[in-house]
Amino acid sequence: MLLLDYQNVLIESLLTERFSGYASATPVSIDQVVSDFDGVTFHLSTPESKSKILISINVKCFKELVQYGAQEVLEREYGPYIVSPEPGYDFSVQIDLENLPAEEEARNDLIMKLALLKRNAMAAPFERAFDEFNKLAEEASQYTSESAPQGIKEGGEVMAIHYREEEAIYIKANWDRVTVIFSTVFREETDRIFGKVFLQEFVDARRRVLTLQNAPQVLFRNDPPLELAGVPGLSTKEGEVSYVTFGMARNISTSISVLTRAVLFPRHLTAQRRYENISHIQTFRDYFHYHIKASKAYIHTRMRKRTADFLQVLNRARPENEERERKTASGRTFRVQG
Amino acid sequence: MSQSLRPYLHVRSSLTAALTISNFASQASERHNTPQVEARDSPELLLNPLHISRNENEKVFIEPSRNSVRVSIRIKQADEIEHILVHKFTRFLTQRAESFFILRRKPVEGFDISFLITNFHTEKMLTHKLIDFVIEFMEEVDKEISEMKLFLNARARFVAESFLTPFD
Amino acid sequence: MANQTPAVVMDNGTGYSKLGFAGNDSPSFVFPTAIATKAAGSAGSSAGRPPVANKPSFLGGGGGASSNLSAKRGTEDLDFFIGDEALAAGQGPGYGVNYPIRHGQIENWDHMERFWSNSIFKYLRVEPEDHYFLLTEPPLNPPENRENTAEIMFESFNCAGLYIAVQAVLALAASWTSSKVTDRSLTGTVIDSGDGVTHVIPVAEGYVIGSSIKSIPIAGRDITYFVQNLLRDRAEPDSSLKTAEKVKEEYCYVSPDIVKEFARYDREPDRFLKHTVTAPNGRSINIDIGYERFLAPEIFFNPEIYSSDFLTPLPNVVDGVIQSSPIDVRRGLYKNIVLSGGSTLYKDFGRRLQRDIRHLVDDRIRASEARSGGARSGGLDVAVVTHKRQRHGPWFGGSLLGQTPEFRSYCHTKAEYDEIGPSIVRRFALLGGPGSS
Repeated sequence: MLLLDYQNVLIESLLTERFSGYASATPVSIDQVVSDFDGVTFHLSTPESKSKILISINVKCFKELVQYGAQEVLEREYGPYIVSPEPGYDFSVQIDLENLPAEEEARNDLIMKLALLKRNAMAAPFERAFDEFNKLAEEASQYTSESAPQGIKEGGEVMAIHYREEEAIYIKANWDRVTVIFSTVFREETDRIFGKVFLQEFVDARRRVLTLQNAPQVLFRNDPPLELAGVPGLSTKEGEVSYVTFGMARNISTSISVLTRAVLFPRHLTAQRRYENISHIQTFRDYFHYHIKASKAYIHTRMRKRTADFLQVLNRARPENEERERKTASGRTFRVQG
Repeated sequence: MSQSLRPYLHVRSSLTAALTISNFASQASERHNTPQVEARDSPELLLNPLHISRNENEKVFIEPSRNSVRVSIRIKQADEIEHILVHKFTRFLTQRAESFFILRRKPVEGFDISFLITNFHTEKMLTHKLIDFVIEFMEEVDKEISEMKLFLNARARFVAESFLTPFD
Repeated sequence: MANQTPAVVMDNGTGYSKLGFAGNDSPSFVFPTAIATKAAGSAGSSAGRPPVANKPSFLGGGGGASSNLSAKRGTEDLDFFIGDEALAAGQGPGYGVNYPIRHGQIENWDHMERFWSNSIFKYLRVEPEDHYFLLTEPPLNPPENRENTAEIMFESFNCAGLYIAVQAVLALAASWTSSKVTDRSLTGTVIDSGDGVTHVIPVAEGYVIGSSIKSIPIAGRDITYFVQNLLRDRAEPDSSLKTAEKVKEEYCYVSPDIVKEFARYDREPDRFLKHTVTAPNGRSINIDIGYERFLAPEIFFNPEIYSSDFLTPLPNVVDGVIQSSPIDVRRGLYKNIVLSGGSTLYKDFGRRLQRDIRHLVDDRIRASEARSGGARSGGLDVAVVTHKRQRHGPWFGGSLLGQTPEFRSYCHTKAEYDEIGPSIVRRFALLGGPGSS
């Protein structure tokens, strides 16, 4: 597996099974609480009747997401299926198996859409930033770079999503780009060093490989980047939050926080590419951590192999014909009398 | 193997000399037979230890004694990646010390990995083959570390490129 | 922490792996413990999948040949599938299917590590640093295997905490959901029958009595073969293994007495059923189902109808196992015989087993009463516990224990592992034992 999926496999497979089997088999009740990346929890259940599947999602940073328009995005995506949120969860949709779209294709689309619940919940700030960018770009086109008013030069506000306990995503729109900043904490020394190697390659990839010239520019650093620190109008609240993130990192001696910044340029923000890119950039953090772990697994494999080789060499030092117990034809042994 | 490494691997002759060991019971406590190089209870049984170093980062430390020899190796580690890989690898090996007979579970201070060869080992096993093992270990471990480092860089590059490609 | 992440429960068996989150009543994923890797030799073809694998460096002018080579060399370990996808990939060219677990124990650690990696990141979709893990092991697993497991879980995946439990003990815990079980004891006999082999495992106070474990070479697969043979003998239009499996799962049950059951079938012809198989080409075939409904599971109780080299009926094996256990726990072992695994799901399986074991026990008591000349025995209570979660017994037991508030305090954490090393997992406090709720 190279890239992580955008959708939740469990929801996908469960719904596929239920949708296709509904006509023949009697429905079974479901009650599952499952996790997803980034502190997301799903609850799949059939509370009313067995043919009505309720899917609820709990996102750690849902309040922040709502602030950036998550409710509207979710309403747009799931309009008719939305029900009032289950207690303890942020958002719920309900699917009635007796009332499914008739065509196979529409059903599959619905399954996919539901499996992407997490993606859509997190997409709101990205969408907002992209819209903001479009507006700013239009305004800015009326000015030359010198004469542009201060507001346009500075761009939009920094949107912070604290999606994990010590980690956050910051998104900021400018007239010529959208910046997405990930802060990541490494709790372990090995991960930190591996992470550094990986991040360096993310930075270099664009410069080195011709086909990636169009990819977003990636930068990383261990201190807050200018976008977060220097921007006037960054509300004090957000300033504090980012300070807390770093403060915590400093207290735990082994954890290092790294900020990765991906800069998306206008070519990434066209409408048709937007959807894919939002999905993709969301997986960055988990993709990155997954590959650090996968390479550690590979190094384990190598070490096992090498250890076996070393053992073989060492075993050459053992004389081969070690005195084995000799037996007579009837199975008796001779013992030297001591 | 590079030419410059060759003389370094002449550790072989020093090791061969050091491994002239034989059974010797403890003089300090009755009915005990401990490796003198570890117990250090009678100074006259310890011979002069020997450093062979290629540079400050790569060296071998041989401590001979009447009935045992301790060989410690400091593996080359140019940067923090190599450092962590060496650390991981030696830890992995010592975790399996049980099957490595002569591997010491904890390296001597200042070194990455240590072997303890006693007269019981040389009696049961072929001494020159044991030396072969130590030499081969020294050769291979450098190669392994640098290969792992190469792998890591290649993997990182590949991972980064794969992630950025869909943005095209 | 108010919002604790649920523990991840993984039960990796020889045949199937059960993955899910603690607190649920069924595993989220059940798939074969299989991994399909690039078969050696065919690795050279860059035209194969995955589509992105070689592309970036290959097309990049700057990198040149060397970077292409390294990309190729370095990515084979990412090119694999697990579970059902593995079996599908194994059908096609280029991939070979491997089973990393044999006889319950992990044989190939390289494959297992990748199997886990994919289980966690692709299927469960969790960041292992945020979750505690509950893994299972077979009885008599060598401690080195535990250490290797811990090494992988902590060093590769940095999982927050780890608990390794014995499957049989978890199966006992799973039986606590049964209404028949009143005291939550961890003493009992577990009959674990999966696809390949059936184990009878006595457990006393949460610890397996290793010397008394017995295994029986009759399990689900044998029943399927048996059904298939009966279908073939009657020359049914379809007697494939898949059909036989379906028949076994849907129609089989355990009868109290086969002779009477034969007579009953003759009296009541509606006991003969018809089963419809839909062939891949869309046609449907009808096959008759008769005596195999009760004959197939009967091979547990009368193995001579199936096998010529294993002839001890299951009730006798169970009785023998308990008799070979220490005398002070035997009463508890008879009182709590717990079923686990897919091949114990036949209707009335537990009832028949309980009756047969009780016969054996009563006969013995009567014989010794006679020998002692007049002394009366207080009798011995034999109870076989069947419950709803039998199929994934060990997993469900893990889920049950993993959701308890004290579970985390029983785990070894990453920090403890870093401090002490892999040997830490040689000992675990007994989860669900005396002292815990």
